[in-house]
Amino acid sequence: MERRRINNNIRKLRFFHNEMTQQELAQKVGVTRQTIIAMEQGKYSPSLELAFRIALVFGVPLDEVFSYDLEIE
Amino acid sequence: MSFQEKNVTVSLANFTLILGFFAIRVIQMIQGGSFEAANIFRLWGITIALAVIVTIFATILTHIFSAIIHAIKTGEEQPTVEGIEDERDKLIDLRGTKLTYLVFSLGVFLSMLTFVFGQPPLVMFTLLIASGLVAQVIGDARRLYLYRRGF
Repeated sequence: MERRRINNNIRKLRFFHNEMTQQELAQKVGVTRQTIIAMEQGKYSPSLELAFRIALVFGVPLDEVFSYDLEIE
Repeated sequence: MSFQEKNVTVSLANFTLILGFFAIRVIQMIQGGSFEAANIFRLWGITIALAVIVTIFATILTHIFSAIIHAIKTGEEQPTVEGIEDERDKLIDLRGTKLTYLVFSLGVFLSMLTFVFGQPPLVMFTLLIASGLVAQVIGDARRLYLYRRGF
């Protein structure tokens, strides 16, 4: 089976939303700043509920925030 | 460093110290020839009481100092989201707990094996509490490792 991983555009979306800080986003979605950092670095994949909350904060569909891409060897 | 991460660090330090204290006392008893039921059960009581009391006070103190540092850094009186436990914290805690249970299960199994080799119950009880402390230290170490790595 091909290996895939969840990538995200959170860093880019924060930048395009008045350079929202990680702390501001964390407070809006109800997690710690460390969780936002871990997600941006691709170390942590959020639950579906948190993913939807993040998409809601940015006002974009889920697939504009997260993508399920092939892993590059 | 989030509040949960600080809590895990403090817990790791506490249980390492308690394990150290327990190991030193047992070695002293064996060397001094006082490795007997009354002393071991007294040590059991002290270790468990120490673990409970130190954990409670350490958690309270970590909370107070975190709030003070947060207030000094941000000027806010109420610590906000940093004080909560989010889904990543819960998953990290679960992984740590899983390892704690695994190590403790092995410890219990090894403790029971001492009967097979004809050792007195004293050895079983000593190994049992030692494995509990080691399991807690290993579980906390894994939690801290996962926090430092991101997940």
